[in-house]
Amino acid sequence: MSTVTLYSVSYDIASLILHILGFIIPPANAALTNGNVITGLAVLVFGVILLAASMLNTILLIWWERKLLGRIMDRRGAMHVGYAGLLQNFADGFKLFRKTTVQPREADALGFFSGPTAYMVTSFLLFGILPISSGWNSGILPLSLLLALAIFSFAPLFIFVSAWSSNNKYSLMGGMRSAAQMIAYEVPLLLAVVAVVIVAGSFDLTTIVYEQQNYWFWGPLFVALIVFVAGMLAEMERIPFDLPEAEAELVEGWNTEYGGMLFAFFMLADYLRALVGSILVVLLFLGGWTMPSWVPSAATSFPLAGIFWFMVKTYIVFGLFVWVRASLPRVRTDQLLRVGWNRMIPLSLLSVFLAALLVTVKCVWPFGCIPSAGT
Amino acid sequence: MANDVTATEKPEQNPVLWVVRPMATAARQFAKSLFRPSTIVYPYERLEDPKFRDRLEVASGKPLGVGAVWDNYRGVHALNIATCISCNLCAFSCPDICIEMVTVPGGDPKHPKKCPAIDYGKCSYCGFCSDACPEGCLTMTTRYELSTPKRAEMVYSPEKLYDVFRSKLPMNPIRLARPANEDAILLDPPLCIGCNACARDCPTQCITMLDIPKPESKPGEKLPRRIWKEPVVNDSDCVRCGTCISVCPKECLFWGTHK
Repeated sequence: MSTVTLYSVSYDIASLILHILGFIIPPANAALTNGNVITGLAVLVFGVILLAASMLNTILLIWWERKLLGRIMDRRGAMHVGYAGLLQNFADGFKLFRKTTVQPREADALGFFSGPTAYMVTSFLLFGILPISSGWNSGILPLSLLLALAIFSFAPLFIFVSAWSSNNKYSLMGGMRSAAQMIAYEVPLLLAVVAVVIVAGSFDLTTIVYEQQNYWFWGPLFVALIVFVAGMLAEMERIPFDLPEAEAELVEGWNTEYGGMLFAFFMLADYLRALVGSILVVLLFLGGWTMPSWVPSAATSFPLAGIFWFMVKTYIVFGLFVWVRASLPRVRTDQLLRVGWNRMIPLSLLSVFLAALLVTVKCVWPFGCIPSAGT
Repeated sequence: MANDVTATEKPEQNPVLWVVRPMATAARQFAKSLFRPSTIVYPYERLEDPKFRDRLEVASGKPLGVGAVWDNYRGVHALNIATCISCNLCAFSCPDICIEMVTVPGGDPKHPKKCPAIDYGKCSYCGFCSDACPEGCLTMTTRYELSTPKRAEMVYSPEKLYDVFRSKLPMNPIRLARPANEDAILLDPPLCIGCNACARDCPTQCITMLDIPKPESKPGEKLPRRIWKEPVVNDSDCVRCGTCISVCPKECLFWGTHK
């Protein structure tokens, strides 16, 4: 295929850089323009592009949340730095970057510093797996959905490590709540994903997106969508499921002892995970970068249209999360666990059953037929 | 329908109450404030702007005088340096001791002109100083913006206060009544030593030192060492600032009423 992909772009960039370097330093020309060297640099460039894109999107996402939350609360959100406060988060980031990192005297240094770092790194890792458009993916991963969910569920471990090594009872409580919450919501989340996998017939996110060419899965799998969104809210530890960092009772929970850049790591990783959660909802239920056939082709055929529509959908889904955050109070631990075990699991089993039914009958009236197997 | 919420209610049993209705409320608020939130983007817009006039009057229940605050708002002071007589009364009356009299150009070497510099870090905006000012040159304006990145900038020099005066902000018209006219500076003659300090420091130069007869010295009695002069206060010129009382080394001047 001659389509431009993210990897081909980064390969071209790497090749250009190395050829220019080889032109400047003639003795090293042969060594620099070696295919393996170019491939190695291309992978690096690939990672840098992913990093920059995910950071930019994360910061934009924080801006989007602040503005949206402000409007729902009858105010305006950030206004001063940049147009409509667009650069406010960069300013906040610089402020955090300049601050001293204070380590509690009794804290365990290894866990204290490696916890946030690992949390951040695994969150970045997630972004590398998810396909954003037909060109923006990291190759063919037959089990990319499983891999994404597996990495996604690493986080409570690192949260627990940082909470434990902070040597603070509130941090520890937050970490334990995080672990309990993860166990309660991982099961329905995965069962909801199973419903999608049954209908799509693949664990590959790209395939799942292409399976939604006739209809997006949110219609027939509405129950699964509800369960998935609720589970994602709990996994992302956002209101109303933000018990691990309940400000009022736990003093920010597991990141009580963190300040400066380490806090910024947690903050960024949180929003990165929120971004990944929104992206997963878009990929699994809202057709990814594809648009329905009734959309005029002018709206879907301009350059980078796939990425554009994907981002639009992602921000709308994140807006839904913000809407939930602005509306609902934080639940109690017992309510959280009861909703998780008593309601979410039966609902997710129901969604699996509905998915099996859908695969059996092939066609459902308002939505159309599922594509034939093998596409 | 569901106003009878009890603490024992389980959220999952009533999703309408716990999820749908809050989200509907949030959506309604979002739609309402999408184009015009209630907040005012303060440094860029302010309540004084004409477009917020209706909002202000609705909030206050009656039409406002000038700007976002009432006329009798006690904000930053305005000082008319030209009419200030350096009487020090503002500094005396200040309960927060935030007024310091600093020298400004314009006086002669013997009577340096001193005007109040106000430390707004301490000021409680009680207005006693402008009430006490005999010449009405220190008044309070409706200016309420004082934020500054440096603490030293909280101290307003007389020149800065004069700038406030020249900006023609509305002055606070409410001032307490002056002390009754019968209050006057009285002298306890036996204590006076005729030192001229009161006459020297009087801002309105209403004190003159008049010669008094030197008493006959009787044998064996020692006359006090003093200058044989006594201050006489011209009550029509006196502004009752009390400077003379404060500078008197013998504390022989006091507030009183003419018999």
